[in-house]
Amino acid sequence: MIPCNSLPPNVIPKLAPYARLQQDRVTGKMALVYPEGVLLLNDTGAAILRLCDGHTDLATICSQLGEQYSVSADNLLADVQTYLHRLYQRNLIRFDGEPPSCDQKRP
Amino acid sequence: MIPRPFGLLAELTYRCPLHCPYCSNPVRYPTAQPELDTDEWIRVFQQAADLGVLHALLSGGEPLQRKDIGTLIAAAHDAGLYTNLITSGVGLTPSSAKRLKLAGLDNVQISFQADDPVLANSIAGTNAFRLKLLAVRAVQEIDLPLTLNVVLHRFNIHRIPQIIEFAVSLQAKRLELANTQYYGWAFKNRKALLPSFQQIEVAAQVVAEARKTYQNRIEILYVLSDYYSPRPKPCMNGWGRRYICVNPIGDVLPCPTAYEIPNLTFDNVRAHSLQWIWEHSEAFNCFRGTEWMQEPCCSCPYKEIDFGGCRCQAALLTGDPSVTDPVCELSPHHPLLEQQLQVSTPPLSPMEEMKDKMSYRVYP
Repeated sequence: MIPCNSLPPNVIPKLAPYARLQQDRVTGKMALVYPEGVLLLNDTGAAILRLCDGHTDLATICSQLGEQYSVSADNLLADVQTYLHRLYQRNLIRFDGEPPSCDQKRP
Repeated sequence: MIPRPFGLLAELTYRCPLHCPYCSNPVRYPTAQPELDTDEWIRVFQQAADLGVLHALLSGGEPLQRKDIGTLIAAAHDAGLYTNLITSGVGLTPSSAKRLKLAGLDNVQISFQADDPVLANSIAGTNAFRLKLLAVRAVQEIDLPLTLNVVLHRFNIHRIPQIIEFAVSLQAKRLELANTQYYGWAFKNRKALLPSFQQIEVAAQVVAEARKTYQNRIEILYVLSDYYSPRPKPCMNGWGRRYICVNPIGDVLPCPTAYEIPNLTFDNVRAHSLQWIWEHSEAFNCFRGTEWMQEPCCSCPYKEIDFGGCRCQAALLTGDPSVTDPVCELSPHHPLLEQQLQVSTPPLSPMEEMKDKMSYRVYP
């Protein structure tokens, strides 16, 4: 498993192929739905996952969120890394661009 | 306050070409009423979405036995539900898989009985293995997300390494290894199916090692049987709290195996809306929340975590659905479970013996 603070800025996160973002009619919030269940998202979680489209890298995600919430991208990086890493551990996020496992970097 | 459901389990039919002796379907099917028709299921999906459901498991029996399966998937999808088809794979061809994907299918789960064709076919009670391979290929060709599922018991649990290799060779990205839960046909066959403690211990080690070996190639989900867990599972995430189940004839159950509970009556979608049933059905309200609990559950700090475990299991093992799940070490009925396990730990039997010992599932 890749440690959360080592997600490089050029990594491109993408929802797992079986996971889908959709709006929850009861609360109006976004939900991440996958084969075994449902994860109700808060607004920032939803904002992050909307940008996990398989084209946008981590650095761009942070700068876009920074504009949206009027914070500097650098201040957001650690939180976004932690959030994405948690979903990665639950197999709901995949990474393109960089090898996803530290093991592969071993000599 | 009554919570809102997130998941719908739609058992579309009890018909199935397989005869797996661990099936969780009821041993005595309700045969008096016909299956829900297409329009009735469409109404169920719409009403479920109105109630707040986001997620639909389309299961059975074998859901592909429904000729209208494409229409049903499209209706669930159009209602805004995530659709997950739980199938044996029998009947899934490249063209039908393509049609179901276009209808809006989000994920397919195909079951295998084992990695070895002879063993797999003898567990299924029919020659389904080859058709399942074709189904896997059909799903992969159209790039639909695929989960493989293998239910584990005494006759295949020793083959976990081979099963994982098999799943990897099929290029599956997810494999669910689920130990048999003992309801329905599985409860009837429990003495033959229960693995030994030693088998369970070895299996856990093998899975842990395989997860390291195949870390980036396949995701392995491993589900332990209640009988071997020290604490009960939060069954259905709490009775009448997260899930609603509609069976082939339209009875609405808080849990797919709730027919196991004696003297419980169920309301039907032909007579009431899903919302009315969710809120008012006696079957949903009798074990909702924590009011119904007895000791040791009442004063237990885990009561909002495991919700007293499984009501069906309590009923099956003690006759009383309102007692603590006997799986729990704190239950006064826990020795009953140990008795079950003691009579059920003979060494691994050859396949011929398996046939003598088990009742294959039949329908009707």
